[in-house]
Amino acid sequence: MIGAALDRRLHFVVGKGGVGKTTVAAALARLLTRRGRRTLAVEVDDERRLSSLLGASGTTGTPTPVAPGLAVVAVEGRAALEEYLGLIIPVKRLLSTIFSSRIYQYFVAAAPGLKELMTVGKIWYEATRQEGGRPAWDAVVVDAPATGHSLQYLRMPQAARDTFGAGLVQREAAKVVDLLRDARTTAVHLVTLAEEMPVAETLETYAQLKDPLEMPVGSVIVNRVHHRRFSAAALATLQETIKRAGADQRALLRAVCERAAEESGWSDINAAHLARLRAAIRDVPIVELPFLFVEEFDRAEVERLSRELEAAGADRAAVSALGP
Amino acid sequence: MTLGDLVARHQIVISAGSGGVGKTTVAASLALWGALEGRRAVVLTIDPARRLATSLGLESLGSGERTISAEVFRAQGLAPRGTLAAMMLDQKGAWDALVERHAPPEARDRILTNRFYQHLSQSFAGSYEYMAIEQLCALAIVVDTPPTRHALDFLEAPRRIADFLDRKIIKWFVRPYFSAGWSALRAMNRTAGFLLRRLEQATGIAALAEISDFFSSMSGLFENFQTRIDRAHEILRAPGTALVLVSSPEEQVLGDAEYLSSKMAALRMPLKGVVLNRVHAEFRPGRRGRDEIGPEELEHVSALLGQTIGAAEAGELAANFVDYQALARGESLRIEQFRGGLPRGVPVVNVPNFSRDVHDLASLAGMHTHLFGTRAAA
Repeated sequence: MIGAALDRRLHFVVGKGGVGKTTVAAALARLLTRRGRRTLAVEVDDERRLSSLLGASGTTGTPTPVAPGLAVVAVEGRAALEEYLGLIIPVKRLLSTIFSSRIYQYFVAAAPGLKELMTVGKIWYEATRQEGGRPAWDAVVVDAPATGHSLQYLRMPQAARDTFGAGLVQREAAKVVDLLRDARTTAVHLVTLAEEMPVAETLETYAQLKDPLEMPVGSVIVNRVHHRRFSAAALATLQETIKRAGADQRALLRAVCERAAEESGWSDINAAHLARLRAAIRDVPIVELPFLFVEEFDRAEVERLSRELEAAGADRAAVSALGP
Repeated sequence: MTLGDLVARHQIVISAGSGGVGKTTVAASLALWGALEGRRAVVLTIDPARRLATSLGLESLGSGERTISAEVFRAQGLAPRGTLAAMMLDQKGAWDALVERHAPPEARDRILTNRFYQHLSQSFAGSYEYMAIEQLCALAIVVDTPPTRHALDFLEAPRRIADFLDRKIIKWFVRPYFSAGWSALRAMNRTAGFLLRRLEQATGIAALAEISDFFSSMSGLFENFQTRIDRAHEILRAPGTALVLVSSPEEQVLGDAEYLSSKMAALRMPLKGVVLNRVHAEFRPGRRGRDEIGPEELEHVSALLGQTIGAAEAGELAANFVDYQALARGESLRIEQFRGGLPRGVPVVNVPNFSRDVHDLASLAGMHTHLFGTRAAA
C-alpha cells in the first residue's frame, strides 16, 4: 500500500525525535523523484538537515531546485504570515510599516497557533499551486517537526475553521482541512523504531490521526530494524569455541561474540515490538527499513533507504487490494 | 570531578538532551545511585516508558510523590542506605493547579476554559519543573526534562515566561479597547486601524478577544508568577545545581548536544557532566602495532570462526562483527570531536547500547558501573 500511497500528492512524514524521520523524508523524496514525479521537499521551522541530506547547500522560503525534478523549500510560520499578508495587502510601503510596528510584533508572538496555521497554509499553497495549467508539483514531502509538535501543526487548520466566524480565514482554513483529510491527495507516514517508547507514541499518534484529525495514514515506516543473519546455534557454538581458544585469539573471539549477542538482542526486541505494532495497526502497510551499519550517514545511505522503501512498496502491492 | 562526586555534591541534577536519547533512564539511574549512597533522592519525570514508570511505582499522572518501598528494593537485590521517590509531572495539570490555588474563585473558570490559556499551558514546556524545584529543593533531585528535541525550551522557560509576562506587553493587551474590538485604536491611528482590520480577517477577532480576556483574568497572578520564576532562575544557577547533558553518538543528536552545550554556556547554566548513551564499543586489540580492526579483517575472523562453525554462518558472524566495528569507529570519531568542543573539566561517560530494555531497578543499577565506574557501596 505504500505503493498506492505514493501516488498521492501531499506526504507528511511524522515521528518522535531520534527515530530518523528526516532521513526517511529524504529517502521518500528521492524515491518519488526517481519515479518521475516533480517533487518538492519541505523543511519546517529552522531545521536544515533535510535539504543537506538531499544535497542542497541551503534553503530559503522559495523552492530551489537541487536535482532534476527535485526542489527544496524552508517554511517558517512568520515568513509565511508575511508572505500571506503580502498577498492580501499589495502595498509594499504599508507592509513594511506593519511588519516593523510593535503591535504586529506582539501580535505574532502572542496569537496562539498563528505560526502553525500559516505554516500549514503555506504547505497547502505549494501543494495546490498551479503552473501553466497543471499542478506545480506532483508530490510534496514534508519533514514535519517531532510528533507532539507536528500534531499541533496539523490540528491548527481545523481549529481555525471551527473558531473563526464566517470570513476569509474560515473559508481558507476549511479548504486546507479538506485537502488534509482527502485520502486521494494526502498521506501521513508515521516513522518509528521497533522499541517500546517509539511504538507507544506511534500508536497514540495513529489514534489521533484517525480521530479527531481524520487524516489518512499512508504507511507506518519502521526504521533501523535489526535482522540477525546467523542462527542461535552458531552463536552458542561460538561461545563454546572461546573457552577452548588460545589466549591470543580469545579477546577477538569474545568481541565477535558480544557483537553477535548484541545483534541478536536487538533483533529480538525489534521483532517483539513489530509484532505489537502489527497487532494494533491492521489497515495500513507497515514497512521495515534495515539498520544501516555505516561510519557516517550521508547521501549514499539516503539513496539506499529509498531503494529499500521502493522494494517494500513493491512487495506489499498485493496487500493494497484490501484498501485503507 | 566524576559523576559520583557530582551526585554527591549537588542537590539538584537536571538531565537534559534531545528526544529519544534515554534522559529518563539516566535520570532514574543517577537518582538510584544517590539513594543507594545514602541520600534522600527523588526523580521527577515527564514521560517515562511505561515499564520504567511501573517499576518506579508511577502508575498514573499527577499521582504525587511515591516512595519506593524497601521490599521492592530487596526483591531486586538492592539495599539502599537512603530513600528513592519518584514523581511524574503533568504540565497541564500543574498550570491548572496553580490557577486553582491563586486565582480568585470568580476568575477561575474563565481562565481554565479560555482557549488561549489552554494553548499557553500546553506550549510552555518546562515551566512546571521550576515550580517543582522550588518546592523540593531541600532534597537531592534528579529532574528529567521534557522529551523535546528543543530541550532549550526547558532551559529558557523561566526567561521566556518572564518575557511573555512583561508588564509592558500585558498592559497593552489588557487595555479596554482591545477587548472592545479595537475600535478605539482604529480611530486613533489609521495605519494601525488598517493593519488591525487585516489581521482580524487573517486570524479572527475571537482569538484576540480571548487573549485580552486571559490577561485581564490572570493579571492578579502575574506578581506571583514573577517571584516564582525569579526563584527558579536562581536555583537553576545555584552552586547546588548541576546540568547533565545526555546524548547518543549519532551525528544529528550530537549536533544538537553541541548546540545545547554552547547555549548552556551562554545562559550561564552549569553544565557539569555529559552522558553518552547507546554507544557501540569498538574492539581494539592494542597489539601487533595496530589498534583497529576493519573490513580487511573480515576474512581473518571468518577463517578463525570457520574452524568450528560452518563457513556460511562463520561468514555472517564475521560480517556482523565488522559491521559493528564500522559503526563504533564512526561513533568514536564523532565523540572525540564532540569532547574537544566541551568546556574543560566536564566529565564524559559512555554507556553502552544495551540490547535489552532498561526498565527495572536492577537494570538501572546495572548502568552504575558505566556511569560511576563502580557499583554503589550498598
